[in-house]
Amino acid sequence: MTRPAALGKHLARLWGLVLLAGVVSLAWQLRDGLPSDTRLTALLPQDRQNPLLERADARLGRAFEDRFVLLLDAPALPRATADLAERLSAADGGRLLTRLDWRDVDFADSDPAAVLGPYRYRLLTPSLRQAIEQDGGTSLVQPALARLFSPGGDPEPVADPFGLLDRWLAQQDDSPVSSWQGLLTVRDRDGTRRSLLIGRLADTPYAPSAQQALTRALRAFEAAHPDARLLHSGLIFHAAGGARQARHEITTIGLGAFLALIVILLAVFRSPRTLLALLLPLAGGLLVATPLTLALFGRLHLLTLAFGASLIGVAIDYALHLQCERAVQGRRFHLRPLLPGLALGLVSSLAAYLALALAPMPGLRQMALFAAAGLAGAWLTGVLWLPRLALPVHPATARIAARWWSLTTPRRTLAPGWLAVVALILLGVIAWRLTADDSLRLLNPSSSAQLAEERQVQSLLGRDTGSRYFLVTADDEPALLERLATLGQRLDTASADGLTIGYRNLADRVPPPRMQDANLAAVRRLYGEPLATLVERAGLPGSVIDKARATLDSVPRLDVATWLDAPAGTADRRLWLGPVTADDGTTRLAATLVLNGVDSAAEGRRLAALADARPDVCYVDRVARLSRLLGELRRHVSLWVGLALALLTAGLVLRYRRQAWRVVTPALGALLGTLAVYAVAGVPLNVFSQLGMLLVLGIGLDAGIFSAEHARRPATWLAVSLSTLTSVLAFGLLAFSATPALHYLGLTCLIGLTLVGLLVPWVRPAPPRIKERPHGEH
Amino acid sequence: MRLFVLLMLGLLSSPALAFDLADLQHRLGDTQGLSGRFVQTRHLADLDTDLESRGHFTYQRGKRVVWALEQPVEDRQVFTPADARAADDAPGDTGDDRRRRQIAALLLNLLDGDWQALERRFSLTLSGDATAWQVALAPRQAALRERLAEVTLAGGRYVERLRLETADGDTLTVRFSDLQPLAGSDP
Repeated sequence: MTRPAALGKHLARLWGLVLLAGVVSLAWQLRDGLPSDTRLTALLPQDRQNPLLERADARLGRAFEDRFVLLLDAPALPRATADLAERLSAADGGRLLTRLDWRDVDFADSDPAAVLGPYRYRLLTPSLRQAIEQDGGTSLVQPALARLFSPGGDPEPVADPFGLLDRWLAQQDDSPVSSWQGLLTVRDRDGTRRSLLIGRLADTPYAPSAQQALTRALRAFEAAHPDARLLHSGLIFHAAGGARQARHEITTIGLGAFLALIVILLAVFRSPRTLLALLLPLAGGLLVATPLTLALFGRLHLLTLAFGASLIGVAIDYALHLQCERAVQGRRFHLRPLLPGLALGLVSSLAAYLALALAPMPGLRQMALFAAAGLAGAWLTGVLWLPRLALPVHPATARIAARWWSLTTPRRTLAPGWLAVVALILLGVIAWRLTADDSLRLLNPSSSAQLAEERQVQSLLGRDTGSRYFLVTADDEPALLERLATLGQRLDTASADGLTIGYRNLADRVPPPRMQDANLAAVRRLYGEPLATLVERAGLPGSVIDKARATLDSVPRLDVATWLDAPAGTADRRLWLGPVTADDGTTRLAATLVLNGVDSAAEGRRLAALADARPDVCYVDRVARLSRLLGELRRHVSLWVGLALALLTAGLVLRYRRQAWRVVTPALGALLGTLAVYAVAGVPLNVFSQLGMLLVLGIGLDAGIFSAEHARRPATWLAVSLSTLTSVLAFGLLAFSATPALHYLGLTCLIGLTLVGLLVPWVRPAPPRIKERPHGEH
Repeated sequence: MRLFVLLMLGLLSSPALAFDLADLQHRLGDTQGLSGRFVQTRHLADLDTDLESRGHFTYQRGKRVVWALEQPVEDRQVFTPADARAADDAPGDTGDDRRRRQIAALLLNLLDGDWQALERRFSLTLSGDATAWQVALAPRQAALRERLAEVTLAGGRYVERLRLETADGDTLTVRFSDLQPLAGSDP
């Protein structure tokens, strides 16, 4: 036994141990099932430039995460609603929800007066304040009297003879939800009344068990009430839709690609054992990639899994080259001559994948790591193990190789000069027509119908989506509230001037201390002559006057913490960011003022102008901001593709000298071709199509390298063809995915890889004897 | 507490011949309208004072309830299915007094015979006989119990007396007189 052979044997054994360790750690990691993640938002860039914005975004976004809203339209609304509520409460053995609000009494179980009572003399609605300013409050005596004697009133002659708190609460309560026949209902402009059900999930909306339990309960309800129509809103519905789609695509696209691969490989190699051996590198790759990714990231993103399925195409590459060579060379097969090509192929693919890891998106990093680790694992398995396996060689393989070779070898090859001209023309087309699209829609797997339904529910409930807001900071709470109040006034002025937007402002709930003091002073005026008149006309004992005035002696100021702790203030918690550390290291307070109904860019500009006029107020359009980040990311990726290409080309020129153009043409040509197709067809470029280009680059370079290394071997061409075909199956079929991100990735691979396959025969070095029949050498 | 007005007016329209609640509800559904006078006494426990007021009311099924105070202050409140607000809009009223509108909606539901709505909030006990009956309503929800101790209704042919007792000891008593059923005609 020669020394290299002995070394190879040792390495193969060592590799076996590594894979065994992979099996063990994977078994341990999967003891509670696969920790997977279906959130597409995990793909979003980590915005390290502005942690405060990130916090505000997260705060506004997360507030409703564990809740969902259903609006039901049914003929017998009360009965149908009760049935739906019962089904939801009973779902998953009663474990799905921690709370379900659907009766009007569900909302009435906390008395806001109990919490706000002590502060009421500092809380005045603008109209009350105005009435007191005008005539000292004399005009308020008559309504107060009516209130005292009204059968429905809840008069408190001492605590609140003028009913200040009721007015305040009525003003705060701007919800369109009303009670009807014991239900919570909303009506749209056409007068259709829908009942409202608000559920709070016990588990996260991403939990598959919760998604399934909810879906089952709703399906059963819809089956029992065919006339009922439901409107859904809530992250869980989107998450369930996304997960369902991903599962569906994995089983159709993923499984379809896999089956097609098996059929093709069986047709070429005619041996199930060879087929299994070809899948061995894939298994090796997965055994390296999965435990490593789980160890580093804790959980596996579903998109990583989908991407990982695509890894099949590349992982099998190396095995294909080995096996095609072996089938054609028979007993003369040696690994050594193949090694330079295999190594170069691995390096170029790794370069393409690792460029993904430079993207500041955690999801993409995970994919990149998964792919790179899987690739390395597959390569090592292929190189270390496959040559040692005794595999049957079917003569058909060599025959197919020869026939495929003679069928597809063009009469002449392309001259570099022509290629340069074509490349220039393509570049012109690209520069002239190609557009880019960085809209956030790419990241959103929800169907447009689902999104429209979500918008409908939000607008029926008068809610904002938290995607546009003002971020306001100040040194202390009084200053912050003051700033918020001023901003609110400016918005009111703008609204009076034709700006049709709504907003929710914490300062409307908790007035700034200065305002609270002014309110108390106004109430003191009201408790002078007007109170005496009221008591006299009502026939109340005179002692009431003194008792009522005594309540004004020490009135606490309402502060933010008290309000947020109150049941009525819970909904405002998302507006409060609290203490934040500013750039200069000082601690400041921050809060958001959330806008709704911002429909046009012009409105957005007006709002931004409002913020620009003030320091410490910043207008944030979350969607626009994230789109901008996606755009930056796209340009970032372009740069890295360019650099990687330049670097690789330089390396290839060193090795192949004047023949280097043959190596780079499949990859470069495919990239230019794809971009030109997009430019002509009007498909805008986005970050995901660019990621697809990285893969095309890696596989195209592989094909170029192998064709240059082993120019005269039909076996090489068969392997290149098979690997391109398998990659088209594995990546390109993602073009049929309904997830925009995967669709663009797949479309790019489909076009690009097809071009790679078409270009290789035209640029490979011309063989000296074209009519040689290799299988005759047996 | 505004809930009480619904309750009061809701039961007011029930001719008290029935001895089970189903009958009561049935009759409730039969009443097309009712009018009469009332004397309302509110006892404020912490001040040991009574606030007395009087006036008249009209109820038209499915259309409106008018509750007209005459003394000591003139005030007219109209509750309709679509809307309900004090007829003389108070200064400072935003015109969007949703709480009142909700009450109006509930009230009309009650008058229109939605007995279930009451039963959701109260457990009902009927006693006495057809000429002198009494219904006691005890709040089911703890939140409501914190404010309201008990509601009692008493009457014969019609409801004659309604008494609400709040948790802090205040009471509201309404005595009805001159009750006249309205023909089921439009106003």
